[in-house]
Amino acid sequence: MLVVDEWHELLGNKRGVQLQLALARLRQWMPELIVWGLSATLGNQAHALEVLLHPGRGKLVQGRVDKDLRVDTLLPPSIERFPWAGHLGLRMLPQVVEQIDSSATTLVFTNTRSQSEIWYQAILGARPDWAGLIALHHGSLAREVRDWVELGLKQGALKAVVCTSSLDLGVDFLPVERVLQIGSPKGVARLMQRAGRSGHAPGRTSRVTLVPTHSVEVVEAAAAQIAIAERRIEARSAPQRPLDVLVQHLVSMALGGGFRPEELFDEVRQAWSYRDLTDDHWQWALAFVRHGGHSLTAYPDYQRVEPDDTGLWKVPSRRVALRHRMSIGTIVSDASLTVKFWAKGGSGRSLGTIEEGFIARLRPGDNFLFGGRLLELVRVENMTAYVSRATGKKAAVPRWNGGRMPLSSELADAVVEQLGAASRGRFESDEMRLVEPLLRVQMDWSALPTETTLLAEVMKSREGWHLFLYPFAGRHVHLGLASLLAWRMGQQQPLTFSIAVNDYGFELLSATEVDWLKWLTPELFSQNNLLQDVLASLNAGELARRRFREIARIAGLVFSGYPGAQKSARQLQASSGLFFDVFRQYDPANLLLTQAEEEVLRQELEVERLEQTMSRLQGRQLDIHQVKRTTPLAFPLMVERFRESMSSEKLADRIRRMVAELDKAAGPGGYQPEANASIMVERETAPKRKPRQTKDGTPRLRKPKRAP
Amino acid sequence: MSRMNPYQPIELAGSTLWLLAEKAVYWPEQQALLIADIHFGKAAAYRRLGQPVPHGTTDTNLRQLDDLLARYACRQLIFLGDFLHAPESRAPSTLARLAEWRAQHAQLEVTLVRGNHDRRAGDPPRELDISVVSEPLLLGPYALQHEPDPHPTHHVLAGHVHPAFQLHGRGRQRLRLPCFCIGARLSLLPAFGNFTGTMTVAAEDNWQIYVIGDGEVWPLRRPAPVRPGICP
Repeated sequence: MLVVDEWHELLGNKRGVQLQLALARLRQWMPELIVWGLSATLGNQAHALEVLLHPGRGKLVQGRVDKDLRVDTLLPPSIERFPWAGHLGLRMLPQVVEQIDSSATTLVFTNTRSQSEIWYQAILGARPDWAGLIALHHGSLAREVRDWVELGLKQGALKAVVCTSSLDLGVDFLPVERVLQIGSPKGVARLMQRAGRSGHAPGRTSRVTLVPTHSVEVVEAAAAQIAIAERRIEARSAPQRPLDVLVQHLVSMALGGGFRPEELFDEVRQAWSYRDLTDDHWQWALAFVRHGGHSLTAYPDYQRVEPDDTGLWKVPSRRVALRHRMSIGTIVSDASLTVKFWAKGGSGRSLGTIEEGFIARLRPGDNFLFGGRLLELVRVENMTAYVSRATGKKAAVPRWNGGRMPLSSELADAVVEQLGAASRGRFESDEMRLVEPLLRVQMDWSALPTETTLLAEVMKSREGWHLFLYPFAGRHVHLGLASLLAWRMGQQQPLTFSIAVNDYGFELLSATEVDWLKWLTPELFSQNNLLQDVLASLNAGELARRRFREIARIAGLVFSGYPGAQKSARQLQASSGLFFDVFRQYDPANLLLTQAEEEVLRQELEVERLEQTMSRLQGRQLDIHQVKRTTPLAFPLMVERFRESMSSEKLADRIRRMVAELDKAAGPGGYQPEANASIMVERETAPKRKPRQTKDGTPRLRKPKRAP
Repeated sequence: MSRMNPYQPIELAGSTLWLLAEKAVYWPEQQALLIADIHFGKAAAYRRLGQPVPHGTTDTNLRQLDDLLARYACRQLIFLGDFLHAPESRAPSTLARLAEWRAQHAQLEVTLVRGNHDRRAGDPPRELDISVVSEPLLLGPYALQHEPDPHPTHHVLAGHVHPAFQLHGRGRQRLRLPCFCIGARLSLLPAFGNFTGTMTVAAEDNWQIYVIGDGEVWPLRRPAPVRPGICP
């Protein structure tokens, strides 16, 4: 018998596909195998059952007692100083500390690893006496550190743990009494999962407290309570025949004693995701692991897997075997370095891993936060960042380029319902009454989005011509929609747009004049040629290229290196972006490129959700407002730094304009690459610190910096 | 299509150099073509290590070289390092293709200033008839090098960095383009190879930047010195 726990966490991703393949192999050896799948938070149980047991059938067993689940919100005492944007939310720190103090054991969930580092440090700063009683847990920390934290939780030895989704699953931490969620819960299932970490036993109440970090999240909190009460749980569906996972599986099988293609083909088709795998795709995958592609573009000096005399496919090269074993898996991260304490002979303790891109921006002597410690970078060598303990205050916080989860449709709809009610003057919960003054500002300057309207705001600023649109469909769909609209407009007139998205809406910004009112017609949102136009906008943008990163890694194109590898190994690494370009230029029919495109459509842009959104938007009244100032809803988009771009202009024209602007900027004031208005507002989340004062009130002189 | 600035002539250390939009430098006085970081056989090295990379990068590199040699009268061709990418780049097919190309330009004097990749990959085979020297190669007012180390008496022309510059514009627009970096004592060439990445250089390093895009070379106005003293 085999038990798959928390099946919903795997069902919708490539790790789940690997599990399907592993199950197919096990059933090959043992056809009578009994498989159980367990999950407490699933919107589509029938699909989950089918994928797990394919091609067999099974029974659905549902518990009779509904788990008692309480959701409440930690509200700030007043809203005045509460920001519209920002992700730190440290203004809620005193209340969070108070909550931790009043319970025996608390889990503090954050949405990103950086956020967890910041919160851990802040809580410790507020309560130094909790040193040793609170801990930090996220996926980049060394295994031993995480084990220690998990053990501490089990034994009830810890007062609080600040964590990320790394603690969503796994061991049952019985003593956990309270769960806090910092920032947006993103989805109903996810919030229920996190709530379930407390009172984790039959018959006990689970409770989660939402800690909003900006005003719209207060609305989200109100919406989440209703969505959970009505059990509007998101559905998850399994990926369809991901070729990168198949390619990896073939090499793994060749390593594990070898395979015969006809037998393995039948076995692989037992996995639900590959149930419709065609012979064409299968032959392509075989050719790919053997020659690197179809025989037409065969790469003779390349071979990962070869059939032997008896027709058994094996990996002939020990080197290839070693490399493959190092990179099995479907979780993709950027090139990362091990973080170790500096000691003679490199014998220092390992703390975890950190992205190379972050370390590259630091110099020896710089401080950064990691694993809840303030560290000083000593040196970087052999893919290891050596550190020592540091003192002082100034420190950089590492960023990890993890995927950002979109707000689910279920939760987004609930948010729009709240805003719709507010627009009709109904503020029915404590949360909504708290944000009422701010929503009134939005109504005065523009309007609130509702279930029957699509709010658009157009504005002219020093930066250019802005369009803000609020479909409330999650960041992925917004990106697809924004690229699509930008592309459609660009077909009529050469334009370059900078695109910012969040879960509530998106912004299109052009440096040259755009008559938005002329463009905003129902035709712009037409569903005719939708897929074609989305594909075209995809090729014009950067998204497919970024998606290729993951596919290249799983398919074994990009190798992230051995632990402790020498520097010369780097000469054999290239970025996936470079691979993407070279494939596009020299082997455009390569199926991995096709897969990248399909995956962007399905996952990054969620094209089905995009289609649904388009048809819903068509039924809505376009509510256009010309605004003078950035409205509360537009503000977070204005200050979003991570931006996509979409251009239909000639490259030479764009260069000419930027070079001319640079000339102007270089005039009297010298060169200032980002001297514009919005950078000023961006600092809003981190208020400028006043110079520290000495006892007599005069500003303290800064110590002169050490000479390098 | 006619291009406005397929090259930019500049005065540097008392001689004239043409910065070409093909990511190379032509030196009329010496009838020399300077090429940095061509990285021949990089794709072949990947294939040898079990990573499939399509064929065609070597041919494209050679075709681009041929175009330049046809357009500008060249007596000599000088590679500023990283001619071969790795030991695994010495694949028979790659070397055969290079030999064939060399035979078509038998009159041309070809020199390689050894770079960090060449030290691992080894010198090109003798039949390619390339004279190989260690850096610096002093020629006229210039020290031709791979690594951008300062030279006491000569202006350094170097590769190694694969420089690119990020342009910023109104409306939050950005463009990252390969570039030449011209300094007071040291200048950098962009990487020529078509299977090579780039590294962004900072504006405050007081370079005169020439970006390359759409077949043209675009001079940026020399920025005011922000951090004096760093100037190379």
